Amino acid sequence: MITVERLTKRYGPFTAVDDVSFEVKPGLVTGFLGPNGAGKTTAMRVMAGLTPASSGRATVLGKPYAALPNPGRHVGLLLDASAQHAGRTGREVLTLGAILMGVGRGRVDEMVELVGLTEKEANRRVRNYSLGMRQRLGIAHALLGDPEVLILDEPANGLDPAGIRWMRDLLRGYADRGGTVLLSSHLLNEIERVADEIIVIGHGRIVAQGTKEELLAGAGTFTRSTDDDALAAALASESVVAQRPPTGGLQVEAEPIVVGRVAVAHQIVLTELRGADSRGLEEMFLDLTADSAREGVAA
Amino acid sequence: MTAQTSTTDTTTTTTAQGARPAGAPASKNAESALPTHAKVPSRITGPRPTAGVPFARLTHVELRKMLDTRAGRWLLIGIGAIIAIALTIMFFNDGGQHAFVEYLQATTMPMALVLPVVGILAVTSEWSQRTGLVTFGLEPRRIRVAWAKTVAALLVGACAFALSLVLAALAHQSAITVRGVTGDWSVDALVLLGAGGYVLLGIAQGVGFGMLFKNTPAAVVVFFVLPTAWSILGSMVSWLRDAAVWLDLNQTMNPLFQGSLTGEQWAHLAASVTLWVLAPLAVGIWRLTRAEVK
Repeated sequence: MITVERLTKRYGPFTAVDDVSFEVKPGLVTGFLGPNGAGKTTAMRVMAGLTPASSGRATVLGKPYAALPNPGRHVGLLLDASAQHAGRTGREVLTLGAILMGVGRGRVDEMVELVGLTEKEANRRVRNYSLGMRQRLGIAHALLGDPEVLILDEPANGLDPAGIRWMRDLLRGYADRGGTVLLSSHLLNEIERVADEIIVIGHGRIVAQGTKEELLAGAGTFTRSTDDDALAAALASESVVAQRPPTGGLQVEAEPIVVGRVAVAHQIVLTELRGADSRGLEEMFLDLTADSAREGVAA
Repeated sequence: MTAQTSTTDTTTTTTAQGARPAGAPASKNAESALPTHAKVPSRITGPRPTAGVPFARLTHVELRKMLDTRAGRWLLIGIGAIIAIALTIMFFNDGGQHAFVEYLQATTMPMALVLPVVGILAVTSEWSQRTGLVTFGLEPRRIRVAWAKTVAALLVGACAFALSLVLAALAHQSAITVRGVTGDWSVDALVLLGAGGYVLLGIAQGVGFGMLFKNTPAAVVVFFVLPTAWSILGSMVSWLRDAAVWLDLNQTMNPLFQGSLTGEQWAHLAASVTLWVLAPLAVGIWRLTRAEVK
């Protein structure tokens, strides 16, 4: 459980996080989505007590992070996979964490195996790791203390599609047994594949928030018919806004049921009718973040 | 506390070698693939801790961090090499006719010179390598981390000094046995204090400078250049020369090696230690607890 209340972080005249409030619930994977520089990382650092907030507050498991006793056993952090000493081996990084948290050394072997690093790779220095390997090491480190809450900043960065699927399964299983997961990404399709709830942030402000279904519902309807021209005209006559993507069909800013009713009323045969897919959400995402970026410039 | 073995159903298949998951690339250089199916990590049995991380454990980890990197290891190997060379030269020079105290000087000098870098790196690497994100994430009460680093650095210094005593004794004894020189084991307590203090104060000063600058090159350069610059300027500017009597650590420590200190000289020593060791540590710790960790 993470609670963020009216959190603001300013750097001089620049506001990195602007009056942000949200809750990350146990049992769900919550995605923190926004373009680079939107304030995701800053907000996460404030949650972890590494950056002081200008105003507002963040609590983890009901307490400010700094008040958690032995926080590694409560919260798993991965704030930057590259932030590891290049001259240390992956195994040594995990061993240091295990000693500090007071978990057995056996836990290190278990985590190394869990993220699929071989013995040889674990004994290599982090300098020689690819970004994907660093991410896996970071995930292993975050899971070391069997935490109740995971805060992961761009964990899928550098993972291949199979790796992203692996992470989705891991986080899904983790949330299913009651864990709280917050992960950030600037890539919509990553978040869409992993998260149950999505918080969209742009220019330091939350621009949309809700379950994936809710956000998708807002993304409109995609439809095809035997006569798209007639359907477009029919929708226009009912003052329903529709666009015509170059690839054919209609992108309608309304629920599928509205489109279906219009089609019946005008006796048009539909060949396809469904809630807009990720492309709809992507457009919404770009739209939202572009809007907030413009506001930011104007302000 | 031990980690319980997995109770969740695992679908990961591993070969006899252990960690390589099924379907991993065969090439030796290719990085291993992730397991095809994610396994949820096993639970750690027992209640979650309600007490903070014990200070001894923090110190243990900080001590280990000073020695487990390539940089840390090579620094120590470098010191060892310099000492070996110095002792070898002394062993053959002047027929090996040197007192124990002279051998001791040969073993402690390189340590006092190089160990401060270990102290500096112990702090600055948290920023330059950005490991602070992990360190201060695992112990948000940063002042405890700062003290753990200071204590760990002093432990390294103490071990190094003990080692320098042993090495000096061995060198002197072998000069007596092999080269047949007359032994001179006389050591003044103040000289021992001076040699030990030289090593320990140096490494503590390194930690302080590291915290103050949070940047390796800046801390190293200031640490080594400032005393020299002070001496050069001190010889030219008269009021600086007067101040140096109180504040130049090299000058104020000198009487220790002579084996006798007047009350005023103790005051000089205390003033210089406050300026160069205690003040940087105090300001450094203050900065460390407030800095934003990125």
